[in-house]
Amino acid sequence: MNVIIGRYVPSNSVIHRMDPRAKLLAMFIYAASVFFANNGVTYAMLTAFLFILLLLLRVPFSFILKGLRPVLWIVLFTFLLHAFLTKEGATLYQIGELAIYEGGLQKGVFISLRFLLLIAMTTWLTISTTPVEVTDAVESIFGPLKRFRVPVHELALMMSISLRFIPTLMEETEKMIKAQAARGVDFYGGPFGERIKAMTALLIPLFIHAFKRAEELAIAMEARGYRGGEGRTKYRLLTWGSIDTWLLASTVGVTILLLLFRA
Amino acid sequence: MKQLVLSVENLSFQYLGQPNEAVRNVTFHVYKGDWVAIVGHNGSGKSTVAKLLIGLLKPKHGEIRLFDTVLNEATVWQLRRRMGIVFQNPDNQFVGTTVQDDVAFALENNGIPREEMVERVQAAIRQVGMEAFLLKEPHHLSGGQKQRVALAGILALRPDLIILDEATSMLDPKGKQEVLEALIDLRKKQQMTILSITHDLEEAVQADKIIVMNEGEIVANGTPSDVFSLGEKLAEFRLDLPFVMKIKKELQQTGIPLSVHSATIEELVDELWTLYLNK
Ligand SMILES: Nc1ncnc2c1ncn2[C@@H]1O[C@H](COP(=O)(O)OP(=O)(O)O)[C@@H](O)[C@H]1O
Ligand SMILES: [Mg+2]
Repeated sequence: MNVIIGRYVPSNSVIHRMDPRAKLLAMFIYAASVFFANNGVTYAMLTAFLFILLLLLRVPFSFILKGLRPVLWIVLFTFLLHAFLTKEGATLYQIGELAIYEGGLQKGVFISLRFLLLIAMTTWLTISTTPVEVTDAVESIFGPLKRFRVPVHELALMMSISLRFIPTLMEETEKMIKAQAARGVDFYGGPFGERIKAMTALLIPLFIHAFKRAEELAIAMEARGYRGGEGRTKYRLLTWGSIDTWLLASTVGVTILLLLFRA
Repeated sequence: MKQLVLSVENLSFQYLGQPNEAVRNVTFHVYKGDWVAIVGHNGSGKSTVAKLLIGLLKPKHGEIRLFDTVLNEATVWQLRRRMGIVFQNPDNQFVGTTVQDDVAFALENNGIPREEMVERVQAAIRQVGMEAFLLKEPHHLSGGQKQRVALAGILALRPDLIILDEATSMLDPKGKQEVLEALIDLRKKQQMTILSITHDLEEAVQADKIIVMNEGEIVANGTPSDVFSLGEKLAEFRLDLPFVMKIKKELQQTGIPLSVHSATIEELVDELWTLYLNK
């Protein structure tokens, strides 16, 4: 469950208290600038900046590492791929046919570092920001697109309702698995064909229920006066403070420095 | 004379492609501060009436009026602001990600300014005794708690009328009791007008007036004791007498001269001990 909902870790850190819009924008700018880094200095700058941001989270580092663990294999694989396949610069090491070149090593380190930085930055956001806050931020940032008939409010509402129903549907799935298992359905063993059949017996009622829920929810929403985003006020408030400006300014600052120092 | 809140005149409705009308010639009135219960077995047309009342379905015939406003396409949104409905399934009407977000939903829809919204949300949550759960997510609440939140979401609108469509029928006895107590409290403290739809006569005992529906029509109408004194007739409408009434019937059959008035446990007990003392 935790994987889907993100890895929000409650805390009262400066970062947690920041405006989700600031955090989201900072993440976008940072992610974009990662692709412009191309030498040791620029990568060092990005790493140092992110390190400070992660420290400010006031969340044990093990949580952050947990967020990175699933991608470590990909990072390692990327590293090896580049290390062995890039044939530039002096030869550093030779094992029979395979050779590692200086350029390859450097490229491998940079690319996998780029990966790590991107994932760490997203983890930084999800640890400090609830999915609902992210939704609010998305709605607010993309609000101006409403003028071009992009259904920003509707998309945001869809997101928040989906988030709200994930645990409900999970619970229902669990109940249904138990109910079916009690009648002798085996989800984990048996021949492949049987297991597919078992899954159908689970998925069909699940979908039927989900559709019924959606219909009832729509009726309940209409009964409570919902008729789209027009003329609606918002209960959850986003407040932009000076600290948010600071975050954004420093992210932009790092990006400018990076552009100056890149090779 | 009490003020007339809701008046329903000659209401009929037929679902598309159905041979019979789901609601036929239904007429009833709800007065300010009253608790009216509509009872009837499954499929007798109760939910259809509820949906007609809040304008989710359009009547084939008849008129629905809240105070002086006739329900039609032009007034439907205004009227939805003045009457709220709680549905049966606690999960399928919880829109917000937390309790306070859900209570605020109808206010947001109606463009209430934020400061006022905060105030109203707090007050409504207090009215149903859920103030300790303000930031809780729905999957951490019991069914009864979710229904009380739904009730709060309606109270926040400061409605003239609260409609409940089988709002307690999916709850366990404890949840039922919680919701019922919240409603009794609302009526006592604020003279809230309540229209509760149920197939559970046990719950209808709380009402001032009971309307019995069968096959889309009103077949009986009166105070709880009037309706319960119908006895065998109720079984014809596939309704089950409440526990108190069953006991009373049995007692009457053994020759104890009980009046027709008592409908609640308290009334019955009072009657029994006065009878005993007067013997
Ligand atoms: N959407 C629908 N389409 C067609 N028929 C319906 C629909 N909803 C309800 N009905 C029918 O209308 C009748 C009344 O239903 P309903 O008002 O839901 O009864 P109740 O709430 O008293 O159980 C039933 O016979 C039911 O089958
Ligand atoms: Mg019904």
